[in-house]
Amino acid sequence: MVIALAAIWIFFASQSGNFLSARNLSMLAVELAITATLALGMLLVLLPGHIDLSVGSGVGLIGGIAAVLIFQYAWPAPLALLAGLIVALVLWALMSTLIVRQRVPSFIITLGGLLVFKGLFWLIIQNSTVPVARGSEGNLYSLLTTYSLPQWAGFLVGTFICGILVLTWIRDRAARRRHGFPVEDAEISFLKTFLIIQGILLVLIVLNSFRGVPLCLLVLVVIAVLIHLLTRHTPFGRHLYAIGGNEEAAHLAGIPVARVITTAYILLGAVVALTGFMQTSYQGAATTTVGELMELDAIAACVIGGTSLRGGRGTVTGVLFGALIMASLLNGMTLLAVPPEMKLIARGTVLVLAVWLDTALNRHKIFR
Amino acid sequence: MPPLLELRKLTKRFGQVTALNEVSFDLHAGEVLALCGENGAGKSTLIKCLTGIYPTSSCDGEIVLDGRPVLFRSLREGEQTGIVAIHQELALVREMTVAENIFLGAEPTQRGLVDWNAVYSRTRDLLNRFNLELDPSTRVEELGIGQQQLVEIAKALSRKARILLLDEPTAALAESETARLLDIVHDLRRRGISCIYISHRLEEVLALADRVTVLRDGRSVASLTKPTRPEIVRHMVGRDIEDYFPRRRTDPGEVLLKVENLAVAPARASGKNLEGISFDVRRGEVFGIGGLMGSGRTELLMHLFGAYGTRTHGSVSLLESPFSPHSPREAIARGLALVSEDRKRSGIIPGHPVGFNLSLAAISRLCGRWMINANLETQANQSLIAQLRVRTDGQEAAIDSLSGGNQQKVLVGRALLTEPDLILFDEPTRGVDVGAKVEIYEIINYLTSIGKAVLLVSSELPELMGMSDQILILANGRSGGTFHSNEARQESLLEAALSQ
Repeated sequence: MVIALAAIWIFFASQSGNFLSARNLSMLAVELAITATLALGMLLVLLPGHIDLSVGSGVGLIGGIAAVLIFQYAWPAPLALLAGLIVALVLWALMSTLIVRQRVPSFIITLGGLLVFKGLFWLIIQNSTVPVARGSEGNLYSLLTTYSLPQWAGFLVGTFICGILVLTWIRDRAARRRHGFPVEDAEISFLKTFLIIQGILLVLIVLNSFRGVPLCLLVLVVIAVLIHLLTRHTPFGRHLYAIGGNEEAAHLAGIPVARVITTAYILLGAVVALTGFMQTSYQGAATTTVGELMELDAIAACVIGGTSLRGGRGTVTGVLFGALIMASLLNGMTLLAVPPEMKLIARGTVLVLAVWLDTALNRHKIFR
Repeated sequence: MPPLLELRKLTKRFGQVTALNEVSFDLHAGEVLALCGENGAGKSTLIKCLTGIYPTSSCDGEIVLDGRPVLFRSLREGEQTGIVAIHQELALVREMTVAENIFLGAEPTQRGLVDWNAVYSRTRDLLNRFNLELDPSTRVEELGIGQQQLVEIAKALSRKARILLLDEPTAALAESETARLLDIVHDLRRRGISCIYISHRLEEVLALADRVTVLRDGRSVASLTKPTRPEIVRHMVGRDIEDYFPRRRTDPGEVLLKVENLAVAPARASGKNLEGISFDVRRGEVFGIGGLMGSGRTELLMHLFGAYGTRTHGSVSLLESPFSPHSPREAIARGLALVSEDRKRSGIIPGHPVGFNLSLAAISRLCGRWMINANLETQANQSLIAQLRVRTDGQEAAIDSLSGGNQQKVLVGRALLTEPDLILFDEPTRGVDVGAKVEIYEIINYLTSIGKAVLLVSSELPELMGMSDQILILANGRSGGTFHSNEARQESLLEAALSQ
């Protein structure tokens, strides 16, 4: 996966001198934040072996609702965003109830959602273009993707993250030692932490040399950390993996399967709302095409990142990598002015290639 | 006249386990041979060898057909020589008609298109010839189980079957249907078609079979011509309980679980009804539940665990308070734990580490305020791995890499981590090698010695008698009797299980 990413970056860098410019990398950061946030939400329902095809339409609909409330009804932006969020939670709770209680396959329910949400979206914006802000001054909605942290704040946040990293590193080692477990060699884990901090610093410096750290990248970081903790460090996360691995065994082990799946969908609903705000804000207005095909991008990012569509397998880091590949591809092609029809073909090809390579390599591992 | 089919010292091994050990018998044209034996005696393996599901090259010994040794490489090759099995689970496509099913995979064609007129007229001729009263154009899902079986038989006959293997054909049939099936087998015999008939119902065997071969522990121990019922039972049991069950009795304590006159209706029409079941389980006791396959053992266990059917009558109490869990989660919260029957289907979470599988049911007990305490979890897992002597490369190893016996120990560990009072074991030693079996028995001993109670479902009578303090035998969803293990004899248990 790392090799594929490196290949894509090297290719675009060699074709266009602008690809690695601070300006373009800032744009890429925003695009990554949008793609990756949605993909991380998707991970939550893929893990227990379900799927959601309606998120693309949902992104448009929820973004559209907030835009209409602001532009046509003059709601304050925070209130409009809150309303959008609540609508999303209700819709996803409804879908998950149908999936869990009525036992209709999630593929069908969310396929229905895809169509219905799209229709509602067009109805609400009346097939027109609804800006996310009135007049020229920004509000919370428009600032989501345009605001960047000032340099000092960016460094502050960076330092804060590095500080937390070092702290958890120290605390983990102390706790393991207290329990008498073997501790990783200090120099090696110091080196690892050091490298990660270097990486964070590099990103900071690049972003600060243009406008600073985009707000929505910070949103992604928060979402990624939360979902990582949720999936790897809570009983809820264990339950997601167990249901995807063997639903009947999970049920017999006392896992409340229905409740876990409902919760996963409701959390995805919240993520869809957040993505809807960011995507609509990035486009500047709600138009009929917002969110189109985003469900497929999200699923592709998960699958490229090693998530199994049958459930039980997938990690946050993998999905982040997958999303970075998809976002880089799209960004690079836009930069090279590749026509839209070729973009679609290239995205599809990369998806198939990546997954095929992954299964081919894994098969090799099993047979060895 | 030379026999039509002859088995010469057929032996089939799975790794260390010998499933068939030098099985020999012969079958003449137009003869009905019954195969009898307890669960696990090797009947199913034998059928799979005879039909080519297990290639002949994977067995030792010879299968001789028409005086010539044959080598089946696949099911298809077995069928081509005229040996066809009618299995317990019918292999029909429910949405297709009788005629479509009979010619499935062998459709007569005309210029590349299926010749439907030929399909239906040939089916009609076939059904008439063998007096099978079926309409070729009925969809199979509209037929009862008995009629579906006739379709299977017709399908076999259409493939020029000379030897029919009937595996428990009457297990799911009502009495009238059974009588009809027996008539048809009689009729086929007159037409020179041989049958190998496998059934637990000794009445049918006595009525139908010319000869009976008894299998025990994978060996053919007797070949009897027109035997009596006691003769068959004696050969089926035929051994003493070896000193292989290390049960240490403990003095039973207070009553933990009390079941009174329980009746359960299944959630789906195909499920099993339970009726009139009563028993007590005390602390420090192993309570065994036996019976034939399909007698309702697993259903009873699952009902107690909140995972099967609805209670229509009777009461269950746990520690003197009413107990009716609606989900396994509730049952676990009340101090029950289950080690389920089918490890692969409802036990392990494949592709995940040993540790993940161990701590799964108890993970919310290993938490801080928000998150799993990884060190606590590792510690709990490590001590269980050591205590249960799970042989693994550590708790990060994939569960799939462990042997069956060690996977089973992990599942026992998963159950124990929830600190239960009553542990339900459903066939805990199925598909487990002898060494691991004894280790699982030792775990059961340990549990009763610290005051827990165990419900043990097993289809192996010796295991049931060797490990239990009391034994409940189920027959067709009802109680066939309760026995104290020191006074129970295998013959009486078997009789109770065969009673209808």
